[in-house]
This record gives sequence, structure tokens and C-alpha cells, in this order.
Amino acid sequence: MSSGKPIFEEYGIYIFLIALFAVSSLLSPAFLTIENLRNIFTPAASLGMVAVGQTFVILIGGGALDLSVASVMATVTVIVSMNTHGQDALLFPVSLLCILFGIVVGLTNGFLVTKRGVQPFIATLGMMVIIQGLRFLYTKGAPKGTFPPFLRLLGTGNIGPMPISVLSFAFLLVLAAIVLKKTIFGRKIYATGGNIKAALISGYNTDLIIISTYAISGFTAAIGGLYLAGWLGISDNWVGEGYEVDSIAAVIMGGTSFEGGKGGVIGTTAGVLIIATLYNLVLLLHLPLQLQYIVKGGAIILATSFYARKAAY
Amino acid sequence: MRKVIFVLIALTFLGVTITGGFAAEQRQWDRASLWNPSTLRMIDTKKYKKKAPYTIGFSNAGISNSWAVFMHREVQAEAERHPDLIKKLYVTEAKGKADKQIGDIEDLMAKGIDILIVRATTEAALDPVISRLHKQGFPVITVSKGIKSDNYVSFVDASNQVLGRMNMVWLCQTLQGKGNIVMLGGWPGAGSVIDRKAGADEALARYPGIKVLDYQYTHYSPTEGKTVMQAMVQSYGKKIDGVWCDSGLQGVGALEAMVAAGMNVPITGDQLNGFMCNVVKYQFKAVMGAYPPRMGAEAVKLALRVLQGESVPHHFNVPTLVSATDETADIKADVPWSELAQPNQPENWWIGHTLPKKWLPY
Repeated sequence: MSSGKPIFEEYGIYIFLIALFAVSSLLSPAFLTIENLRNIFTPAASLGMVAVGQTFVILIGGGALDLSVASVMATVTVIVSMNTHGQDALLFPVSLLCILFGIVVGLTNGFLVTKRGVQPFIATLGMMVIIQGLRFLYTKGAPKGTFPPFLRLLGTGNIGPMPISVLSFAFLLVLAAIVLKKTIFGRKIYATGGNIKAALISGYNTDLIIISTYAISGFTAAIGGLYLAGWLGISDNWVGEGYEVDSIAAVIMGGTSFEGGKGGVIGTTAGVLIIATLYNLVLLLHLPLQLQYIVKGGAIILATSFYARKAAY
Repeated sequence: MRKVIFVLIALTFLGVTITGGFAAEQRQWDRASLWNPSTLRMIDTKKYKKKAPYTIGFSNAGISNSWAVFMHREVQAEAERHPDLIKKLYVTEAKGKADKQIGDIEDLMAKGIDILIVRATTEAALDPVISRLHKQGFPVITVSKGIKSDNYVSFVDASNQVLGRMNMVWLCQTLQGKGNIVMLGGWPGAGSVIDRKAGADEALARYPGIKVLDYQYTHYSPTEGKTVMQAMVQSYGKKIDGVWCDSGLQGVGALEAMVAAGMNVPITGDQLNGFMCNVVKYQFKAVMGAYPPRMGAEAVKLALRVLQGESVPHHFNVPTLVSATDETADIKADVPWSELAQPNQPENWWIGHTLPKKWLPY
């Protein structure tokens, strides 16, 4: 009876992902085509980048999360379009500025959580609103400018059959997995998330670790925003809207717990793919909007409950 | 001669009227009245007459796209033009959420406003609160996005039904009455979206050879426009002969998706500069019915007339224009597309505004 349970606990998310792909292929002949898979994976790469950073934050535990990521993405988009004026020559310095912006936002979030004791939900929600306000001040509500061709290439181009954005995400994913699993810093994150008191007793600077995870989240949000801007090609004040919730859902679906200390970026990637696939499938099935919401929400709950570890009461 | 007249109309529309003469201004309004589908129903506003200066409340559904930002600023800029009549303008923004907007309106009422201007998030959700105010004898002007009932003094827009109908007639005629189309709407439940779709459906009913493959909402987001269009391209591929968008906001995203897929079929939209320029850049056939953000300013002017006890039209149509890259039997361009698309201006630029430099979002 119990022999099957650990398999679902360990691999449930991947089994669900495979099942979702299989069902999607049966439901829509358009699903399993190279072009459609590119349509799913290319914007999913941006969500994946954001979700990787979100994983670092959630691993810290204690209800840690980052609601400011979508706001960072949108702000990065307008910074690039309004400062590069569509010129490749300016892309590199402006991108560095964007990344710096993301990191500063993350550091501020981390500072508020650790040094001021603000709940992560409130700290990052407040930051999200502040950035929105700053963005509206900066753009006066209607961003101008265009994106450099090289950024468009990063967002929409392919190397062979693979979208460049997906390859970039894969690189980031591998890097994040190595940091989490193979470095002392990674072990400190898991230790802090597993038991913060024990981590403190062990001499870890937990505040620094927590601040670092928020900085990483800000960094990946900025990178994700750059790629999403390249994919979209239009400067808009709300690029990435909803990514804060989607990235958190992907992380939790992928097996990282709000309690912290367990999970990782590979599971998160599966969560991202499930969300991106669902968003694509409801459109391929031509469902009316109301049904789209029901199917997407229902499938996310189903995916999580499919393999969820039962709490020991 | 006809072309010359059209060019003159368009020039006035582009803002020449700000400094231009009475004749040009008159021509615009003549045109608006010609487009009015019925005779004007005038509302007697003597019961709302008050002594100036006034306090005005403006409850905006949201500023989630650049059109809404332009329109929002039109309200503010117009209020500033009447320092003798307007003591205070209170502005709220509901972030697209009906429940927040209802709270916003209650807050505005508590501030003691003399008249309320509302751009409703959804026509059903805002109907009860606005109807209640109307029945209590409080003056309400709705603008751009109306409510379900006619419980208001005046509704200001540029007939959404006409724009929806115009775009659809052009698409059907461009396809010579035969083919498959997909439709991309804006915000679900928003009055303007419902009306544009209703106008389009009326036109569509006369073209039995045109089949609608799918209708999806895009929340006036370029991102959603691209995502939805990508999925439609995957589903239907070369079966899609035309794309009906009720705005250039999702239209510009749909264009991106089609370009990426190597598709080029006729598309409809509005006067968003990014949409118009990309149509030229990628050589698409397109039509646009302009939806002028200046309707925000007109709503303020109308509010002042109401408070001064002047009769006002129950439905107030702001002048607009049509342009097309390729004309059809019934849809002619008031101004050539190439003259309206302005590559030197930002993608989020909207023609049809009256904003002074101070209020421009650039």
C-alpha cells in the first residue's frame, strides 16, 4: 500500500507534467508541434528565471516570498526601452543598470525582513506598490522608446531548434542548482530554511543569507524582465503582470515548501512548465474566459494535491 | 474635393483645433452629429444647477494602458483650464477592480463632490451604485466605459458600436465576404468592449460567408494579445484569413505573433501609434477607428454644463475618424494611414488628444 507513496512524493510533479503533456496532445492536435512548444517555452523561460529566484527566497522558510518580482520586471522593461532608444550599443550598460536595480530592490526587501522585522508578505507587497508608483512617475504612465535588435534576438531568436531564451534559462537553472546543492552558501540556505535557530547556533549569519536570497530574486526578476521585453517587443507598463503569483505557484507546485529548507529549482522548473502548458492549453481548446480560469486553477490544485505530503497530525 | 475635406477634418482632429479657428472645430462636431445613430435626447439639468466653484470627482476604472493614461490626464488638464469654476478635482483609480471602484465612489461622495464622472470597470458591477446615486438626484456623467442601465445624466464616448461595426465591415469587405476570422476583445465585462463586439456582430450577421473561429479576451494587454494570437495561429494556422481586434493595444501584440509565424492577414485596431507604425513596417492590410482620449476633457466640460443647469445630450459623441491602408467599397480613409502613423513618436502615442505640453506623458 505504502510502496507507491514515496514515488508520488518524490516524482509526482514530473508524473503530472508528463500526464499533462499527454492529455494536452490528445485534446489538441496543435499542442505537440515544434512551433507551439516554442510558444510555450519562450515566455516560460522568463517565468522560469523569476521562479528560480523565488525558489531561493521561499527556501528560507517562515513564509518568505517575493511579491515585488513582477514590478521589477515591468520597470526593467521601461528602463531598457526608454534608455537604449533601440540601440544595441547602449544595451549592455542599460542592462547592467537594470540588473543593479533588481538587486537593490532585493537588498531592500531583505533588509526590511531581517533588520526591521517586517513580514515578507508586507515588505515585498509594499515594495511592489512603491516600484509601481516610481515607474508611473518615471514613464508618466505611457512608456516610450523601443528595444534594441539584440534584445529582440535574445527574446525571440533560436539557436537551431532551441529558443535562445530557453538556453539562457537552462544556463541559469544549472548555475542555481549548483549553488544550492554544491556550495556552502547553498547548504546555508537549506540550513537556515530547515531550522533558523540551529543555523544561528552553528554560527551562520542568517540575516546575510536571507538578504542574499532576496537579492538573487531581484537579480533573476531583472533578467527575466529583460528576456520578456525582448520577446514582447513593445514597451508596456505592465509587462510580467501576474508573474509574482505564477512564480510562487510554480515554486510551491515544484515541491518547495513555505516552511523552507526543502525543495529546489528542478521541481520549480516542472511547476513553471505546468503553468505555461496550462495557459497555452486553455487557449488551444478555445475555452471561454470563465472556463479558462476554472481549468487553470483546478489543475494547479490538482497538481499539488496529487503528490502532496500529508501532514502528520 | 472630397479628399481635401477629409484631410482638413483629420488635421483638425490631430490637434490643429487647439489653436485653429471656429470653422474647423465646427466641422468636427458636425461630423460627430452626422455619425449619431439617432436624434439627440437632451436632458434637462436645471435641478442640478449650483453656484460655482465646484468640486468634481472622477472615478477611473484604471490606468493600466497608455490610452487610459492619456484619457485620465485629459480630465485633469481640462479641470485645470477652469480655475474660476472648479475649486477641486478629486481623482481615484480602481486598478481594474469593480469592488475598489465602488469604494472609491463612496469615498468621493464623502468628500462632498458636486458631480461624479465615472469610467466604469464593468457595466454590470457599477450599475447599482451609480443607479442609486442617480435616483437620489445626484448628477453622474459616465465616460468611455458606461453602465448597464441609463441611470446617468450623460454618457460620453465615441460610439463604440460604430467603431466595432466599422472595423468588422472593413474586414468582411476586404475578405470579399468569405473566410475565417478570429476576434480579440479587451476587458471582459467592460461596456466599451461589449458595445464594440455588439457592433461587430451586427455587421457580421450580414456576411454569412465569414466564420468566427474564436473570440478571446486580452485585457488590452500587448503581452496577452501576442500570447492569445500565438495559440490561435497554432490552432488554426492558415485557416485564419483575418483578425478583428477592438483596439491596437492587443492588436500590436497580435501583429508580433503573426510576424513571428510568417503570417500576414488583414487586421483591425485603433489609433495606437505602435500598432499603426508596425502595420506599415510589416506591410499588413489594416483599418483603425480612432477612439479619442480627449473624451476625458469633454466629460469635464459636460459636467460644468450640467452644474450650470444647461441641457446636455444623454449620449455625447466625440468626433473621431477612420483610416485604412486599403479602402473597401464602404470604408474610406479620412486620412491616409501613412500620414497618421508617426514613427518619430513613441509607440504609446495616441492621436486625438488635446493635452497641453505640461500634461503630456513624455
